[in-house]
Amino acid sequence: MRNPLIKHYILLIVLSLFLGSSSFAQKAKKNKVRLKANYVKVMNSEVYFDLQATAKVNGENITIPNVELVIYNVVDDEQIELGKATTNMGGKSRFTLKDLKSIKPDSTNTYNIEISFEGNENFSRTSKSISFKNASIEATFVKIDSINYISATLINKLTDSVVIGQSLTLQVQRLFKPLLLKEFNETDENGSILVPIPDGIPGVDGNITIEVVLNDSAEFGTVKAIVNAPVGIPIVDESTFDERTMWSPRSKTPFFLLILPNLLTLGIWGFIIYLINNLFKINKS
Amino acid sequence: MKNSNKSSRRKFLNNGLKLGLITTISGIGLSKIAAKLSAQTANDSNTKMELMTMDGTLIQVDSSEVIEVAHSKNEDRKYNVREGMPNRKFVMVIDLAKCKNALKCQSACNKHHYITGEHAWLKVYKMQESEDTAPYWMPTTCMHCDHPACVTVCPVDATFKRRDGLVLIDNERCIGCRFCMAACPYSTRVFNWEEPNQGEITMNMQMKHQTENNSVEFAGMPSIKGTVDKCDFCPHSIKENILPHCVTACPNGVFYFGDKYEDTVTNGEETLRLSKLLIDKDGYRLMESLGTRPSVYYLPPVNRLVDFNEGLDNYTDFKSVEKSE
Amino acid sequence: MKKTDSLLLDLAPQKFGRIGIIWTWTLIIISLIGIVAYIDQVIKGQVVTNMNDYALWGIYISNFVFFVATSFVGTVTVAILRLTNNSWRTPIVRIAEIISVAAIIMAGITIMIDMGRPDRLLNLFIHGRLQSPIIWDVIIIPIYIVISLLLLYFPLLPDFALLKLFFEKKNPKLSKWYGKLSLNWTGSLAQKTIQAKSIQLIAVLIIPVGFMLQTIDAWLFSTLFRVGWDSTNMGAYFISGASVAGVGALVTVVYVLQKVYKLEDYITDYHFDKLGKFLVLMCLIYLYFNLNEYLIPQLTSKKEATTHINVLLTGQFAPLFWFVIIGGLIVPVIVLLFKQGRKPLPMFIIGLLVVLGSWWKRYLIVTPTLLHPFLPIQGVPESWHHYFPSLHEWLITAATLAMALLIITALVRYLPIIPIQRTADEQEELELNKNTAK
Repeated sequence: MRNPLIKHYILLIVLSLFLGSSSFAQKAKKNKVRLKANYVKVMNSEVYFDLQATAKVNGENITIPNVELVIYNVVDDEQIELGKATTNMGGKSRFTLKDLKSIKPDSTNTYNIEISFEGNENFSRTSKSISFKNASIEATFVKIDSINYISATLINKLTDSVVIGQSLTLQVQRLFKPLLLKEFNETDENGSILVPIPDGIPGVDGNITIEVVLNDSAEFGTVKAIVNAPVGIPIVDESTFDERTMWSPRSKTPFFLLILPNLLTLGIWGFIIYLINNLFKINKS
Repeated sequence: MKNSNKSSRRKFLNNGLKLGLITTISGIGLSKIAAKLSAQTANDSNTKMELMTMDGTLIQVDSSEVIEVAHSKNEDRKYNVREGMPNRKFVMVIDLAKCKNALKCQSACNKHHYITGEHAWLKVYKMQESEDTAPYWMPTTCMHCDHPACVTVCPVDATFKRRDGLVLIDNERCIGCRFCMAACPYSTRVFNWEEPNQGEITMNMQMKHQTENNSVEFAGMPSIKGTVDKCDFCPHSIKENILPHCVTACPNGVFYFGDKYEDTVTNGEETLRLSKLLIDKDGYRLMESLGTRPSVYYLPPVNRLVDFNEGLDNYTDFKSVEKSE
Repeated sequence: MKKTDSLLLDLAPQKFGRIGIIWTWTLIIISLIGIVAYIDQVIKGQVVTNMNDYALWGIYISNFVFFVATSFVGTVTVAILRLTNNSWRTPIVRIAEIISVAAIIMAGITIMIDMGRPDRLLNLFIHGRLQSPIIWDVIIIPIYIVISLLLLYFPLLPDFALLKLFFEKKNPKLSKWYGKLSLNWTGSLAQKTIQAKSIQLIAVLIIPVGFMLQTIDAWLFSTLFRVGWDSTNMGAYFISGASVAGVGALVTVVYVLQKVYKLEDYITDYHFDKLGKFLVLMCLIYLYFNLNEYLIPQLTSKKEATTHINVLLTGQFAPLFWFVIIGGLIVPVIVLLFKQGRKPLPMFIIGLLVVLGSWWKRYLIVTPTLLHPFLPIQGVPESWHHYFPSLHEWLITAATLAMALLIITALVRYLPIIPIQRTADEQEELELNKNTAK
């Protein structure tokens, strides 16, 4: 138990140093930092926190790159450090955990996470707390009467009971942002939804990756289940990369251009060599 | 036979990509932790540190045993930069109804590609077809044509068309004949007539080329005297699932970007089905009759909410690149 | 041998007098200045030119096209006149061959000046793509250089043998060189047969190669979308233009050499008369092509075509355009239709006009088209809306022209301008015919 105390001591010393240095600085006006944290749980995969540090500087909202954020798991009175993350050029950072087992819930079975920023010469220290309970979505692809559906159930992992009346979103996983299929699917008395999959959605080899998402709920954060539905239109590769075209690289020259110019060139050089040979013949005779 | 080879290759690539991504993320995570701790080891020797392993358990480790881990490189995925990403066909949709000549796209592109010449890669034209028809603002990027005239005429294969639709330039091979520039009907290519004074970053950029970046996917970083540059659809970003800079910079949501095979384009806020968008809003391509088959679609400037004239404040006839002092 | 003795006195290469030396040194100085300017261009980049992202090709390219066009004179004079049995060509064939060689060699050099990265020249061979018209150009130009050299060399063999004997006492070192170059020419039947066969082959070969050279040069423009270049006419247009440029250059050089070397006995008014008629024919054909190119598009008034033509006919480039058409084509045609116009001195002036007009015509092919692209020119400095060559470009271009003249000068200095052996043979034949007729 000594470790957290040492950490607090170090924090105090560091803070007082900062305070001291700032009092010597000439007009060290520190900007207030706002931390945003979103908790996302992906079923049968990882859990992550999307963090962002922003501040209002000269009336404008800017993102803060390259600052260190410390993530703690707060269990009742204990603060366990989970790790650190540094924001990228966009002021964002993603802190990933393998699953929820790596953190401990408090006595009310709520997970509490605190993200803190120590502050530096330009920005004041701040922290942000988020809390959430563990929920799961079980999603499957079903075919009923030759119509394709996604069936999903929202379960509260604490009580192992279904959650009624929550709005789930159905979307297709895409490269940059997901493509929305249907929003506001409310879970019924069984905590389930049954949504038909529209036709005509393209996917590699006809497979569409569908996400069933509980978006930013106050109680459970964001929970996402990924299910593969092999009911898409297979992608047809239209690329001419493998063909012989006028714009392909040298290795794929069209045959006409490979044969005719080379024949002509070789033919003409053949004549030229014959002529030069004639010069030698004249020389010898 | 060919199909199963292709699909098994795709699956392999897919899995390889996923594996690589997870490895990279956890590797970065672990290295970040390790790096921070190693900084402390200089001061505290013989103290134990609490670390989290890859399966999520907390362990106590002697701080002296913690060393910094290097970033995992992307070379693990057998990726040929001249071939590009498989199963993708990148397209852009530009909604002329929303463009107000804010020029944020142009400044973002200029900034992120360190454009220091007189000629921006992304230009917003003041267009008016005839006296009676409405004037409008038209941003143009490289069209990444499917029948690219520029690629056809390049004598040394310095510019090339990839499988994923991008047309890129290899500045190490370009001989500066400018035939591609003469061929492009969209006037989108730019030539480095002199040494591009990109400042001290040039040295850093050149070092990065030798170690991490591939110049073909990092156009303009650095630019090379006597060669050609142009918009590259930001392959360095889209490879990481980040939208190109112009798309995110536009405050009016004018640029949509996406994969045509996925039939999805997004401008950061709205994500729409490409085919539906083009039908609903009557999308078209520039100079379609030339047969270049561009990858950039335009949505006609109808039902505009803002007057064209408001964009005139930003309009600089003779300048497209802000020069710093 | 008697015949050749008197011919040799007239036609053997002589040392340069004062004018010759001043001429040569002037050319050398101009060339050196140009080389310095070029080195500056390589160091600083092509920013020293006035080219920009719109006027992306300038006088380097139009100069290159001019050289390629002028090199057509070899094909036209030697091969076509030969195959049509125009025997008056004998005294001027060598001059034509010399101009051809000089022009095509300078074409190869000039195009490298336009490259942004001349240090990567080898990429053209290591990474060359057959789909690119530039690679077709890279293939055909060396072929034409070699064929032109062979066309010059084969008929020279007997002359070298004669010169070797002529200079044996006067200039032994020179004599030795002539000896080596004559390849042991003895005039034996075997040698003459090989030579005759070879010349016949070259004469036939150079026609398709020459035509291909001009056509590929034209295709550098007509394979692109731009207005003014995207013309189905281009190949034939360039061949016709090359004929005009080549024959014009020939006329000019023939006159200068005739005067300087006092060759009035060999290149007579008759030859000028014939050349004049030839030039008129070439100009008329070219005029016909120009009519198709510049008048007819006006009738369909396609926007882009109209803009382009208006800029040439009445706009920014009008003075140059009318100088080229009237001064470079119409006036020559009119003057040369009259017998007095085909006398040596008027021919020389006309020849100069034609050459000047040809050079500027290529400028008019390259620049105006580039200055009105499909999308409007916006967002670039005001100077980018115009193009006029910079000092560097003028100096370097002048140097290339000087170097071409230097090559001609060097060849004229050491080669007999008029084929000696051939003239002797023809004179003998004439006498024989006279005798048999009696």
